[in-house]
Amino acid sequence: MSSIPEYMTAKHRECDEFFSEAESAVAEQNWTLALSKWQQFASELTEHLAQEEDVLFPQFEQATGMTSGPTQVMRMEHQQMRALVQDLDNALAAKAKDEYLGLSETLMVMMQQHNMKEEMMLYPMMAQHLTDGEQLVEGFKSSQVA
Amino acid sequence: MNISGLSFNALPPIDLPFRFFICAPLFMIACAFIIFFFGETLWLSRWHPGMLALTHGFTLGFLTLVMMGALLQLLPVIGGIGIARPRLIATVSHSLYVFGVIALISSFLTANPWLTQSALVLLSLAFIFYLSAVVWVLVKKMSQGDSINAFRLAIAAFIAALVLGVMLLASRGGLTYSFGFVDKHFTDIHAMLGLVGWASLLIIGVSFQVLPMFHVAPNMPQYIRKYLPISLGLLLLGFAFYGSDFMALIFIAHAIYALSLLYVINQRKRKVPDTSIKYWQLAAISLLVLNVLYFLPDSFYLVSDNPLSLLLPDKTMLLTAIFIYFNLLSVIQAMLLKILPFLSYTHLQQRCLTDFSAMQHIPHMHEFLNKQHGLILYCLHILSGLTLVAVMIKPSLYLALSLLVFVEFTWLLMLMVRCMHLYFSVNQKINLSNNS
Repeated sequence: MSSIPEYMTAKHRECDEFFSEAESAVAEQNWTLALSKWQQFASELTEHLAQEEDVLFPQFEQATGMTSGPTQVMRMEHQQMRALVQDLDNALAAKAKDEYLGLSETLMVMMQQHNMKEEMMLYPMMAQHLTDGEQLVEGFKSSQVA
Repeated sequence: MNISGLSFNALPPIDLPFRFFICAPLFMIACAFIIFFFGETLWLSRWHPGMLALTHGFTLGFLTLVMMGALLQLLPVIGGIGIARPRLIATVSHSLYVFGVIALISSFLTANPWLTQSALVLLSLAFIFYLSAVVWVLVKKMSQGDSINAFRLAIAAFIAALVLGVMLLASRGGLTYSFGFVDKHFTDIHAMLGLVGWASLLIIGVSFQVLPMFHVAPNMPQYIRKYLPISLGLLLLGFAFYGSDFMALIFIAHAIYALSLLYVINQRKRKVPDTSIKYWQLAAISLLVLNVLYFLPDSFYLVSDNPLSLLLPDKTMLLTAIFIYFNLLSVIQAMLLKILPFLSYTHLQQRCLTDFSAMQHIPHMHEFLNKQHGLILYCLHILSGLTLVAVMIKPSLYLALSLLVFVEFTWLLMLMVRCMHLYFSVNQKINLSNNS
């Protein structure tokens, strides 16, 4: 059984890998590979953000009573990441290599800053306050298999 | 866990790190003039007043200034907490520091005791302000981690280097008795603490964090992360008390670090062309070259039947020059190429958290710092570094070095100004968008 920090951090790394593969394919102008890797990244990211926003954040807010604190900042940053993902979708569709690489560098920076905050503060705080953390993770895993 | 102590937006205002960064290339441009005005004689000895001015221009004027600015930014990102009252601390320490370094360089050049005393007071006050704020964070508040431990050691070595520097300067300014025959040994310890303890350890700590984070590289092997910084710290202590026997081990430790750096870079997942990675590779290779040069027998540099001996420069000066220029300066430039657009973007992005529609005004990272412009800086850096080595063998090439250092750092200055200008104009647009 994995804890919230272990599972969610591993998901960050998985997203990074798909993201890097898509970016490398764009740099080499291999658009077919780029699209397939990008779609894998986008679906992993969507699922990860949903797990946080729909399950973990509300439970954390309920357990701590902090509704306008870190989870609120994280939600706003998710919103910004989604906007960048949309811009990257457009750049990929237009096969605009330089635009894509400029945007991907930007999303990378934003994601890494965001991930650090979650991995160093929010996830450890969740592990401390959510007593059923491992069951929640098991739930994520089984919904993925399905 | 104390949740209230954690801040999710602990970034200091952007003009604080910017003011440290923007002054750094100006000191290097001043160094280009020192190289120009002293001519060939500068390269005769490490004790030449012009050479003392030059090394402190490189190390305090450029390296330390950038690292002080970067630490203001790195502490909240890596450790989650920034220094208290950042505007007061950064404004006071930056002003005192810049004037202190100017006074120090001028005091080496003119031997004016008044300037020496001014440098002593200004730099001591600047460091007391800056370091007390940073130490407070590193000791009290900071989360744990291998990078943070390397930072702690780096700051400890820096303080030791400063204390020795202040003592040497006081003796030079006639304020205390001279240490006489031990001056050279103290100067060596001062230089090693500054170059290896402060600069190298800080860079090693940064690399543990930055390479996995921005290049999707594996972590450095755990034994490197855990034991290398502390080993370097202990080796420096050994060097201070038992002298040069420990020097060989310090070189070997750097070679081990360089090999793991190259391994980690090679294993990175993010393979998109990147000038920062080129700089890190250059830094690692230079550490390996330094090992070869160090372990060549002294006779290689001295013996008269070696046909090259007349051409080869002083070994210590050569190794120090390569270490500073190809290792330390390379990594600092790699960091600047990332941190300038990163800071600009992150600050603007944070401003748009509550005004989502303003996101449309923010340029992407490559618009803040054009990739081609970064590559030009890298090429200029290699060219001026090779010329620096050439000048040590043939001092009459000093004009070329002076010109190249001038061009390289004027270019860096222009990249900074361009990035900051774009930041402030977009910031203005976001203000207008907020007000409308």
